[in-house]
Amino acid sequence: MTLFEEGRNRTGPATLSVDAVVVGLGAGGSMALRQLARAGVSVLGLEAGGRHTPAQFNQREDEMLPLLFQDGGGRMTADLAIRVLQGRGVGGSTLHNTNLCKRTPSAILEQWALDYGVSGASAADLERSYAAVEADLSITEIPEDAINGNNRLLQRGVSALGWRGGVLRHNRVGCRRSGFCELGCAYDAKQNAAKILVPQAMEAGGRVFSDARVDRILHDGSRATGVAGTFVDDAGNATFPFEIRAKIVVLGGSATGSAALALASNVPDPYDRCGRGLRLHPGSVAAGIFEQPVDAHRGIPQSYECTEYLEFGRGAEKRVWILTAFAHPIGTASMLPGFGAKHMTRMRKYRHLAVFSAMVHDETEGRVIAGEGGRPLLQYAMTEADRRQLAIGLRACGRLLLAAGATEVTFPAIDAPTVTTDAALNALSMDFIRPHTLAMSAVHPMGSMALGDDPKRSVVASTGEHHQLKGLFVADGSLFPTSLGVPPQWSIYAFSHHLSPHMIDAIKR
Amino acid sequence: MATNDAPERPAGDTAGASVGPGRLSRRTFVKAFGAALLAAAGGVGLVRSRGYVKPPGATLLALSASEYAIVSAIASRIAATDGVDMPSAEEVGVARWVDGYVAAMDGPLRRDLLRLLQYVEQLAPTAVGYASRFTRLSAADQDAVLAGMEASRIPLLRGAFGALKGCIYLGYYRDSRTWKGLGYDGPLLGRTP
Repeated sequence: MTLFEEGRNRTGPATLSVDAVVVGLGAGGSMALRQLARAGVSVLGLEAGGRHTPAQFNQREDEMLPLLFQDGGGRMTADLAIRVLQGRGVGGSTLHNTNLCKRTPSAILEQWALDYGVSGASAADLERSYAAVEADLSITEIPEDAINGNNRLLQRGVSALGWRGGVLRHNRVGCRRSGFCELGCAYDAKQNAAKILVPQAMEAGGRVFSDARVDRILHDGSRATGVAGTFVDDAGNATFPFEIRAKIVVLGGSATGSAALALASNVPDPYDRCGRGLRLHPGSVAAGIFEQPVDAHRGIPQSYECTEYLEFGRGAEKRVWILTAFAHPIGTASMLPGFGAKHMTRMRKYRHLAVFSAMVHDETEGRVIAGEGGRPLLQYAMTEADRRQLAIGLRACGRLLLAAGATEVTFPAIDAPTVTTDAALNALSMDFIRPHTLAMSAVHPMGSMALGDDPKRSVVASTGEHHQLKGLFVADGSLFPTSLGVPPQWSIYAFSHHLSPHMIDAIKR
Repeated sequence: MATNDAPERPAGDTAGASVGPGRLSRRTFVKAFGAALLAAAGGVGLVRSRGYVKPPGATLLALSASEYAIVSAIASRIAATDGVDMPSAEEVGVARWVDGYVAAMDGPLRRDLLRLLQYVEQLAPTAVGYASRFTRLSAADQDAVLAGMEASRIPLLRGAFGALKGCIYLGYYRDSRTWKGLGYDGPLLGRTP
């Protein structure tokens, strides 16, 4: 029996019966797959994307964006206001993320318990799972000598202003500091789901089909009984159908994919909660020009953070996380304002650019709906309160850049204002900071199938099992009732780890 | 806390209000495009759909000859150069690359992008006062049409312009001939980082 089968090579349909089937092999799905396999149950993981190896990661944007990202890197909210970058393939977004690791703050977990009826998920309850992930993924602080030019400038700005900041922790071992993390690691230094968890799952007897797109969850209205879908070829075209019968179905297809699949499958939803509560951590950037080359595209990205404007928990008034952002030429060209010759003149300052990002710990509640063919459509209209937070954050980014020595600062907006002094920045109207005027992006979709013990306010119980459809579990970022304000990957791994005993119990029921 | 489809704030309290008129769904937007294009087809489309030259070289994968011509025209303006040291969009082969990119898109995305191309060609010029289709305008007038989209009062058009711009730059800055002018030294594989 082959433990890993690439669906693109299938020559016929498949029908299988297993104890558990996991849909989507990003951080959460891969962790569930491993935990279930180690528990000795028969488990099959299904991933719509392909199986990618470091040898494929050639550090070219034009080839890696279509390979590693949903919709070729062009996924947008339905109103085309926010670009949403999500991974595709065995490993999901852990293939292309920058390896940031932070735990969910205890104030957020307390808020979930008090306001959202989440039980058994305090910081103490989760400690064992966070620690297990920390060891699995070798999470460590970035060494001081590995802070690159862009992050060094953020550090300098934080120091000059006397603000809060610090060095970040990542899951990387043997890093070559090439700066191509967002295009997949050619040096296999990312200690991610694809490198660590999926192989461990297979060592324990777990099976995987890549290129296997699940189209619907099978159920009888009260219990999940499996999934059905189609294998796809290199071009994404459907080839042969498959049907997997299982005692439990675990959703790990992300906060957008899992909810869309549940909705397309007519999973019972009597209180109309499925798909609601989508958070994105939407953000944008400020770019500073420096006299000396910064070469921000080289070295480890996002190794330093500024937390001066970030608080957590109910009623938090500062909700912006500031860190560096940088892209290679295509990503940079997409973010810089304008087009044509003027745009190209801006692009010529590429090596002299430092870019800081403001990411909103958002309150806006978006919604996932199942679009044509079951594909997720993301409705997200940013609230005025969140827009104000973004304005605060981008002004702060501007101050940091100027404090670090930038000769001018600009923003990715139509008729972008350029400022050269603190006084001009303080006087600047921030009215341009709004969707469709300012280029915005998001890399952390969360929510949409939230945890909680009240079926009227949540989709799954605090065990991770669906309130109405027994045997259906969620193990990805869909679970979070609010945004985290920190990068979610460590928490997604940890929650999947934390909930896996309930999955095993359900199989034995 | 407001949700996308059920704002519950009383009048005068804007803390939970949505920003801008982003409430028009993509589906509505696409339908509007469709309706407008049907009207265009019924009125002027038939007389404006000829005269596109088939591109030289290999067979197109996804674009028609007219769509290829539209992409070429858009690319030549969005990726217009500011100096002789940078290659043109035509030299880089942006339209040919976009053809391959579109061929790899799934159905709904591909359909939306092709409708957007028709919008640029047939309707966007009229929005800024030109009676001719986009591909027949001068470079300066084409810039005015694109600038009109970028700064449109309709938020979705601004968003659509951003998506189009991203697609063109993906096709342009993928070419290593464009990197020298930026000081970008490209992938490090095979070299010491």
